[in-house]
Amino acid sequence: MMTGFGTTMVRAGRRLLSSLPALFGVLVFTFLLMRVLPGDPAVFFASGPNAGKEEIEQIRKQMGLDKSVPEQLVFYLSDIGHGNLGRSMMTGQPVLKDLRERLPASLELTFTALLIALIAAVPLGVIAALRPGSVVDHGVRLFCALGVCVPTFVSGLLLIYVFYYLLGLAPDPTGRIDVFTSLPPQRTGFLMVDFLLVGDFEGWWTAARQLILPAVSMALFVIAPLARITRASMLVSLGSDFVRTARSVGLSWRKVVVTYALRNAILPVITIAGIVFSTMLGANVLVEKVFSWPGVASYALDALLSSDYAPVQGFVLLMASLFVLVNLVVDICYGIADPRVSIE
Amino acid sequence: MRFVSFRPATCVLATAALLLVATAPSQAQTRAETLRYVTGASVNTLDPNIPGSTRESFALSMSTYDRLVAFGRKQLNGKWVFDLDTITGELAESYEVSPDGLKLTFRLRKDAKFQDGSPVTAEDVKWSLDRCVTAPILGKAQLLTGSLTSADQFKVIDPLTIEVTLPKPDKLALPNLATVYPMIINSKVAKEHATADDPWATAWLKEHTAGSGAYVLETFKPGEQAIIKRNEAWNRGSPSKPAFFKRVIIQSVPEPATRANLVERGDADLVVDLQASDVQALEAKGKLKVISTPQYNSITFVSMNNQIPPFDNVNVRRAIAFALPYDDMFKAALFGRGAPLFGASWPDGKPLNGIYPFQQPVKIDLDKAREYLKAAGLPEGFSTTFSFNVGQASTAEPMAALVKESLGKIGIKVDIQKLPDAQMSTQINEKKLPFFTEGIVAWLPSTDYFYRNFYTGNQRWNYSSINNPELAAIAQEARFEPDKAKYEEDGRKLNAMHADLMPQIMLWQPNQDAVMAASIEGYTYEFHRQVDYRDVSRK
Repeated sequence: MMTGFGTTMVRAGRRLLSSLPALFGVLVFTFLLMRVLPGDPAVFFASGPNAGKEEIEQIRKQMGLDKSVPEQLVFYLSDIGHGNLGRSMMTGQPVLKDLRERLPASLELTFTALLIALIAAVPLGVIAALRPGSVVDHGVRLFCALGVCVPTFVSGLLLIYVFYYLLGLAPDPTGRIDVFTSLPPQRTGFLMVDFLLVGDFEGWWTAARQLILPAVSMALFVIAPLARITRASMLVSLGSDFVRTARSVGLSWRKVVVTYALRNAILPVITIAGIVFSTMLGANVLVEKVFSWPGVASYALDALLSSDYAPVQGFVLLMASLFVLVNLVVDICYGIADPRVSIE
Repeated sequence: MRFVSFRPATCVLATAALLLVATAPSQAQTRAETLRYVTGASVNTLDPNIPGSTRESFALSMSTYDRLVAFGRKQLNGKWVFDLDTITGELAESYEVSPDGLKLTFRLRKDAKFQDGSPVTAEDVKWSLDRCVTAPILGKAQLLTGSLTSADQFKVIDPLTIEVTLPKPDKLALPNLATVYPMIINSKVAKEHATADDPWATAWLKEHTAGSGAYVLETFKPGEQAIIKRNEAWNRGSPSKPAFFKRVIIQSVPEPATRANLVERGDADLVVDLQASDVQALEAKGKLKVISTPQYNSITFVSMNNQIPPFDNVNVRRAIAFALPYDDMFKAALFGRGAPLFGASWPDGKPLNGIYPFQQPVKIDLDKAREYLKAAGLPEGFSTTFSFNVGQASTAEPMAALVKESLGKIGIKVDIQKLPDAQMSTQINEKKLPFFTEGIVAWLPSTDYFYRNFYTGNQRWNYSSINNPELAAIAQEARFEPDKAKYEEDGRKLNAMHADLMPQIMLWQPNQDAVMAASIEGYTYEFHRQVDYRDVSRK
């Protein structure tokens, strides 16, 4: 077991190193892309009622846009090397600070959504696989189709309409916590964790209630791929020799399905879950917008619309790094789910 | 190692339970003394002088800082709006304008204190005004419009008296001191945070406040919310007492439908930037108070670049002016919520008065439009693009479709171009768009100010790029015209030229729709088009 773990770590380290050139490429590419896009941010930000040429020049200088592109790139790379991602014109804060404050919000939402999606999708997929072609299977297919064809902002607005507006059951859909509740001392940035750390269960509850609607609307969207993959790989697994053997030796239904079939079927689900997680993190812009969630995705979108270079670049770099990390975690999970994978 | 075993039924139940849990009724809050204001944009700096600052930042600074003077308010069609002509003291107890109009003397309140407890002195006022005209900040360009350009113009007479001298009697000098930018800063505190590179502490003041205003900043999360609490010592309100609300929460809620839901459910108290359709629906339900004020210092235009063919031909511009389906556009874009600037009848063909903006004597008349096109030598029409920015899509999109349809009838082929905001600003600045729609606002809406800023020079705000020396001369002259009758005459001349040259076509002044809980009182339409939190109270 120990050697298995060791191999995994070595693999992880090697993976991390080999992804550095890719990260660098992403860095340079985004930088150039932002410069190529039409629209002059200095003009945009100097849009006050009486901002003239002088103001525009001043902002251009402030954003470093008065230098040539190669010069800007060199400065940018050296800044990154010093851990400085620049300053956002929109919020007026350093990008690093903005991202650090907003990333936990996005991660908390995405984790919860993924958890809800997995809790719903894996059983659904298993049930569908156990009775392929039955009413249950069709029911699951219908549910998945509905989930995936309704865009997240539609399901989000719908959930708000029903649970907040009509029934008045959900809290108002603005942000991570009721504006009248005081925040716990920040340790991890994850409200659910921070509240638990100080033992404030009432606060935890407020935060949890705020989290559920956005998480559910995001989860609905990704249940489909997860459930379909579970079903497909369960079908393969159930039809394989070892399950037939297990059945024939008279093992219990549960043992056959869960221990033998599901455990073998879970690998592709982990892969998909990893990919789904990375995409969700970037793609939940609409959910963040609808629920006024102070996350990184809505931040990056606002920045993009106003040609605020630094936050967009920072966001892309963050996403690329997270993608690398998530892939690593998926690799490690593989090793745990099926030790054979670790052997190179 | 065992994999966690799933029991399908349990999981389905758990999901259901989670959903139920999410929907338990929320606790009622007693928050009569808190105002929750929701808005689509966000406060991005605590010093409104920083380039790129939002309107929300303006509103916040009106509450956290005082100015020397403030605008009064008046009733316009039964609604409270700011009054450009009544200037009252804020930090100044009284002020005096010398008979020749060259000297303004302000006497400060003896009891005015900064939020740290130190008294407000003439030194602080001088430092703050010096900063406004010297530092590379937005106030500089604004104060210029009131002939305030140099620190030499501000003189401390004694600790409670400050004198402002002007090179020429300028009507806009005093009102300029009531705008957002010339806020009075606690100079001692600010100087402590100034550096050699930044002698006016712009970096520090962006993230901190050092004012004497009605509210003290409690928390500030850029892009999310700002919370301010009442300054109990503040007494500069009209009845000389602290502001009404103990706390004000200014929260960003990007989704307009959610803002509408929040105020309808009673979770938010006040919102000014809903979609016209939502406002109409809420008004129809009758549960909330809706105060719709035409933004009398703002105008929505269709602009034509007077330097680019064929719009350099005055007859083409006139043809367009008679080919726009004004009523349909007004209904489609704003549901008729605003003040129209079209369809006037000028009995003797002359402007009714010298006030700008004015109602233009134009309405849709396709035959007339065809005649003008013929006169321009383009009887077959031409092709062009009509641009608007994404940020205004909800009103501009239906409008653009109607423009395209109507102009198509007289042979003008229109391609609709929807541009991202930054791109649109850039193209306008570079004078590259031939035909587009935009909106403008002036804080100090006097006729000469409008004409000087929006119809002269080679700057960005001259959207139509009109270059008419006569118009420019009259506008310049009117600025320093002390005689009211003469000024009015200048205004009439300018308006007549506008109607004749048709550099761009004024459409309407959109409403500012303030939707609030029935218990909120005192809402006033302010020049910065945001809520002044000091105005409002709860019954």
